[in-house]
Amino acid sequence: MDTPELAVTATRPIALDWTAAVPAVREQHWRRVHGDASLAAWLAPLAPTHLHFGSEFCEHLLPSPRVLREAVRQASERGLRFALLTPVASPGVIERLDALLPLLPDGMEVVANDWGVAHLVATRFPSLGLVAGRVLCRMTKDPRLDAGWAGRCGHALAAPAMRALFERLGIRRLELDMPVFPGEEALDGLPLPAGVHLPFVYVAKGRMCRVGSLSMTGPERFAVGRRCKKECLRMSAAASRPGREDACSAVQLGNTLFSRHSDAMAHSLRHAVGMGRVARLVVAGESL
Amino acid sequence: MRIVAPVSRLSEIGLLAQAGASEFYCGLVPPEWLGRFHALSANRRPSGNLKSYEDLAAAVELAHAHGAMLSLVLNAQNYPAAQAEAAVEIAQRFAGIGGDALIVSDLGLVHVLAARFPALRVHVSSVATCRNAAAARLCLELGARRLILPRDVTIDEAAGIAAEVPDIEIEAFVLNDGCVFEEGACHTIHLPGQMGGPICLDRYRYSYRRRDGGELPPHLAARLRENDEAYERWLWYRFSCGFSTTPEGLPYGPCGLCAIPALRRGKVAAIKIAGREAPTARKLASVRMVKSVVDRVGGGADDAAVRDFAMALRPSEAHCATGFMCYYPEVLRVEAN
Repeated sequence: MDTPELAVTATRPIALDWTAAVPAVREQHWRRVHGDASLAAWLAPLAPTHLHFGSEFCEHLLPSPRVLREAVRQASERGLRFALLTPVASPGVIERLDALLPLLPDGMEVVANDWGVAHLVATRFPSLGLVAGRVLCRMTKDPRLDAGWAGRCGHALAAPAMRALFERLGIRRLELDMPVFPGEEALDGLPLPAGVHLPFVYVAKGRMCRVGSLSMTGPERFAVGRRCKKECLRMSAAASRPGREDACSAVQLGNTLFSRHSDAMAHSLRHAVGMGRVARLVVAGESL
Repeated sequence: MRIVAPVSRLSEIGLLAQAGASEFYCGLVPPEWLGRFHALSANRRPSGNLKSYEDLAAAVELAHAHGAMLSLVLNAQNYPAAQAEAAVEIAQRFAGIGGDALIVSDLGLVHVLAARFPALRVHVSSVATCRNAAAARLCLELGARRLILPRDVTIDEAAGIAAEVPDIEIEAFVLNDGCVFEEGACHTIHLPGQMGGPICLDRYRYSYRRRDGGELPPHLAARLRENDEAYERWLWYRFSCGFSTTPEGLPYGPCGLCAIPALRRGKVAAIKIAGREAPTARKLASVRMVKSVVDRVGGGADDAAVRDFAMALRPSEAHCATGFMCYYPEVLRVEAN
């Protein structure tokens, strides 16, 4: 099997000293972050290779230039390659990226979750490595579905029209979630090297943020684009449906609903890694 | 400013055109689609679609007879290769019967269709989640003539995109049918009610926790409870005030009528009424409401007069004051200033 790269994601500066430690320390780290002994034991032999920093989902979590510089420096000190995570973009995000992207050295990756961001990088910063993030790599991931819906949960990433779009924009790599009903052929036939997120898939993302409206009052509470106090950095919500037995547990973090991999998804991901279909594992670096 | 209205029945076209709609959009599920793909729809709606190419041809003819344009929706989240080929076949048939525009969500498909069918306009669907000028430029380069903004934009953002990329028309939502998540970033299925319905209306119970594993302090837990109660109220408005109408049939729910003057100043070319699946009466009432406001704006009424008129239409002053029914609640901030 080809050993995949391993990226750690973070929306804010996190301790990285464990990344260079022995596998036993890394196992302990992963067990503490995700509370899953099996996952921790599986990840422990893989030394992290990348830091993915920023936010895929929220315009308010794009780092400032100072924080970005510091994160790049911190990754470099630990021998980790750096990728900037960027969200679905309002015009304000595009303006801020205009100031952030020149800070990145040639070849550094930008994970775009917005076609406008992809276009910006392709046209104004072509020396950066453009990656299509999982918001752009669409597939149905409803955690409430049973196997009868499996036929409706595929992706279209290998369709010629999508391939042409990736090529037009110079996209080098894809990031995606595990299909919720992965078969033996899961992740086979993708047109570009794939990074796969774990142990959560993102299900749905709003621009409105419920918990981000905690400190707001009046008519613009729950409205889009208003400044929040970044409550999501401190708290999340386990989301459950009383009386239902969903295979995947759900978590709301800020404006995004996630679901945790089912046992079948975790098994299938390991199989796909064994088959060499996964170029990079992208592991949530913080507890949800 | 063009008023874009949904249709799902041929009988609606004349009625809505007479009420003031200048463009129509519809879906189509070709008879062979279900058997070929085991998918309910060639677009995002399992219902609310025309059933045959004959109906589609008749819809084009009726729309043109009323001086209106007809767009066909191809706005699934994605189109795998075989479905993309089938979508091209649908587009070809649509072009052959004189259709006007395709509303397309998959940007790869946008380019294919714009290149293959130059006689058809291609409009980028709100499901593409393109909501900045850089994305609008990409849509333009791919051959699109119009970008339909997603629901979750502000008036200033819409106007800014229109100003930065004047060669692509901008369309914005004005009435009905809100979403909680961004349509193009919501990878769920609107399940039948007994399975939970749309995920944002499903009865999820939230249990808040600190991410560092600590205890939530009581005052924070209390604030979260209050926030959840407010959210439930917002959700009720977002879903059309419990899908209610006035006794005269005027719909409550997401509304941008007061924003029409600002959208017009911002060079937004078209305003969209959502709700293909709605009953004819709701569509008709919606078009009449929007047209009456557009006429006042065109007649020179100032923003305050337009706002007073719009709020008195249903009437809905109390609902409007909450801001939760607004697509563009910033209009209330302007009023307060």
